[in-house]
Amino acid sequence: MLKFNRKLILSMSTAAALALLTAGCMGASTSITHATTEANGKATIDGGSTYPVVNDKTGPYYVDPQVAADAPKINNGRVPTANEIAAWNTDIMPDGTGLPEGSGTADEGSDIYDAKCVACHGDFGSGGGGYPSLSKGNAYDLQKTLTNNRWKDPEADGPVREFGSYWPKATTLFWYIKDAMPHPFTKSLSDDQVYALVAYILNVNEMKIDGIDVDDDYVLNREKLLKIKMPNRNGFEPNIDGPQALDDVRAFYADAANFGAQKIKKGATPCMKNCQAPTAIVVHIKGAGISNFLPPMSDARNLPAEKKVAVNPASVYKNTCEMCHGNGVGPALGNKAEWAPYLAHGMKKVYANAIHGTDGGMPAKGGSSLSDADFKTVVDYLINGK
Amino acid sequence: MDNKKSNQEIDRRDFFKKAAASVTAIAGTSLISSNARADDPAIMKHVPWGQTWGDPVTKNRYGVPSKYEHNVLRRNTKLLASGNFRASIAVTPLQESMGIITPNGLFFSRSHGGTAHIDPAEYRLMIHGLIEKPIVLTLEELKRYPSVSRIHFIECPANGGQEWRGPQFNSLQFAKGFMASAQWTGTYLKTILADLGVKKEALWMLAEGSDSSEMGRTIPIDKVWDDAMIVWGQNGEALRPEQGYPVRIVLPGWEGNLCVKWLKRLEFAAAPWYAKEETAKYTDLKPTGKAIQHFYANEVNSTVTSPSPEIDWTSLKDGDIVEIQGLAWSGMGTITGVDLSFDGGRNYVKAYLKGLVLPKSWTRWAYMYTYKKGKELLLTSRATDDAGYIQPTIDQEVSVMGVEAVYHRNAVETWEVTKTGKVNHVEIRTMKKVKDA
Ligand code: HEC
Ligand code: HEC
Repeated sequence: MLKFNRKLILSMSTAAALALLTAGCMGASTSITHATTEANGKATIDGGSTYPVVNDKTGPYYVDPQVAADAPKINNGRVPTANEIAAWNTDIMPDGTGLPEGSGTADEGSDIYDAKCVACHGDFGSGGGGYPSLSKGNAYDLQKTLTNNRWKDPEADGPVREFGSYWPKATTLFWYIKDAMPHPFTKSLSDDQVYALVAYILNVNEMKIDGIDVDDDYVLNREKLLKIKMPNRNGFEPNIDGPQALDDVRAFYADAANFGAQKIKKGATPCMKNCQAPTAIVVHIKGAGISNFLPPMSDARNLPAEKKVAVNPASVYKNTCEMCHGNGVGPALGNKAEWAPYLAHGMKKVYANAIHGTDGGMPAKGGSSLSDADFKTVVDYLINGK
Repeated sequence: MDNKKSNQEIDRRDFFKKAAASVTAIAGTSLISSNARADDPAIMKHVPWGQTWGDPVTKNRYGVPSKYEHNVLRRNTKLLASGNFRASIAVTPLQESMGIITPNGLFFSRSHGGTAHIDPAEYRLMIHGLIEKPIVLTLEELKRYPSVSRIHFIECPANGGQEWRGPQFNSLQFAKGFMASAQWTGTYLKTILADLGVKKEALWMLAEGSDSSEMGRTIPIDKVWDDAMIVWGQNGEALRPEQGYPVRIVLPGWEGNLCVKWLKRLEFAAAPWYAKEETAKYTDLKPTGKAIQHFYANEVNSTVTSPSPEIDWTSLKDGDIVEIQGLAWSGMGTITGVDLSFDGGRNYVKAYLKGLVLPKSWTRWAYMYTYKKGKELLLTSRATDDAGYIQPTIDQEVSVMGVEAVYHRNAVETWEVTKTGKVNHVEIRTMKKVKDA
């Protein structure tokens, strides 16, 4: 029934090939060929399906076999220079790769903070006004709040996820401030300034390096930053470090229970009767909930309310009048001598003629669709040149 | 049509009065007797647009929606805003969505340092790190790779994330609109890499943007060799600035945040980077105190999209036949089925999939329903995918994830239809109290 790409089948382990065959032929409600293992027989990295190329198709999509079978080595672009790579390769990794030399004290950081950060992040990093806080107090104590979960006690305090209490790596902070802060003048801080700011943020999070408090005079440098042990460094799963990391990730997502997902057995019908816990109740939104939407919610299909915008005579002149008045057809912009004979009839007459048009070649309102009042503003501009 | 009549005023109020009376008189029948009601002025009168010229074809060289559609908009709320709406989100009006494609102007917009506007002439993509041959590409060189076009949704994993502890938004747009869908055109990343000699030790790839936040994320090599795409097209035109013009990465099914916009650099390494958006944020704290990091895929999910709090059933009459519609999607596979419940997920019936059913894509589903005026409903949908996943109940999901996870909430969603046909967002769950916890 299915013609398989031989190369693909040969390159796969037997188990994977079998899984693929089963999936392809037995998939009841969908005829899309999928697999939950990769070509090497390992589980997918995200616990989901993958769609190997079979019969020149990946899932429902045709693929050009000239490209898919043996990806041709297309040789576009050029090799960047060493300087170019260095200019862009500015990320900073936990092992110190990319972390520059430099130094700064918490005291210096405090001054920079007050000059460049406090407006958004608040005193001592307290946050507010929709801006993130950078500290809520002692990092080591607050790390213990991470097991707080308000499903058991809705009134209780939630977990505190600050730099000090939550982040697994200190290098992240240096990298982020260097690249992305301060708004809106990003990438404007020197390495020493960033060291000083990191020292200050460690200080307000009451953190230690090698058992020593990061106090006001503490000089932070590259070597010391790399010694920081974040209180929550072991607070994350799955493991992503080391050469076996990807297998650890695979194993984690192979078990739905790890991430709150539910699976049903192949071919089984899902629950159709009594599928909610007997204790489940209907929970309504408290009060109006969050409802200050911008713009306000509406599904009305009417004409938008007209906004009265003041006419911009200079731009009307440019778009509508200039083609004549700027080309010797009709009196020129602000040219007193040329306007004099018209103005001699009085402004009332000038307006009226211009609104209704003249036999001498002036179209009604110059061809514009302005209101009389707006049009008169443009006439004034045309006569006076300003 | 009688031309003279076009100028005669037919009293619209009178028309509606008569029409309403005739409807009550024959309620229950759908065929309305022809002389029981006044003639509709919308039919009897010449319409203004029929008696004068329309616009010349030279107007609107790039077309815009009808001016009557001015309320179909991305919306935001100050509670989801930071940095003067530069580290913020504006969400898609799902209540108005049709099919499985979002028009580009309504695609949800999220950034961490504002929408960048990149000069395509100065655009460069650098690929380096643990590879034999680093390269730099101009936009023109990039677009020369063989192209693929794929329909995929992109979802912010915080979609619904404000509602772990209870419903907050009486709005489909805000409860579920942190996502949108497009046909993306670009090239498979693996096609570019074929010539570059990626080294064995390279397990991870950093994707980094050139915007003010220099947004970067670590991507496992598996996705790179599977279906990661470097894209420049969105629904048949260049990416919109809000979606990363001129180039972004699309990782089908995975967190929107991983699909880095304004893409400037891809670096391969043996160890992950621990960027701010994969440590401080986009990690799911569980009641154990451990947080899930590198939570890639958006799990199987669904919602009713019609009716909605925005466009409800208050204008329906008893006995009207109406289509309940919804979307189902999974970043872990292809939707295999959707069930619909009228009692908040206690009992389900099978709903029907409609149109194209594609991997890691929005899928439309529907159920024809005869409206019973005065009957209260709790509409709950539940989807399954071909990787074997099914949406959990709120209780099931919360029992593992707690309520502090912020991201990746995919429990079944419920919409209450009241006696009058109004629609409210509710949750069906067990509420734990301090004492009985
Ligand atoms: C104009 C306002 C503004 C200024 C000034 C500013 N920031 Fe920020 N900062 C923000 C916003 C907004 C975010 C959140 C960005 C996001 O959501 O991606 C942020 C995020 C951060 C974070 C990450 C916090 C977290 O927990 O995720 C750090 C650290 C930070 N800023 C440091 C600084 C430092 C240091 C300065 C001064 C050099 C500074 N900021 C100046 C607005 C500002
Ligand atoms: C198609 C060419 C044309 C355009 C376009 C045009 N004008 Fe004129 N306008 C003329 C000519 C020719 C005259 C002189 C008419 C005459 O002597 O009878 C004139 C005369 C006038 C006068 C003097 C009228 C009077 O008789 O006192 C005014 C005021 C005027 N234009 C305003 C405008 C303004 C304002 C616009 C743009 C909104 C405009 N015109 C656009 C050709 C044009």
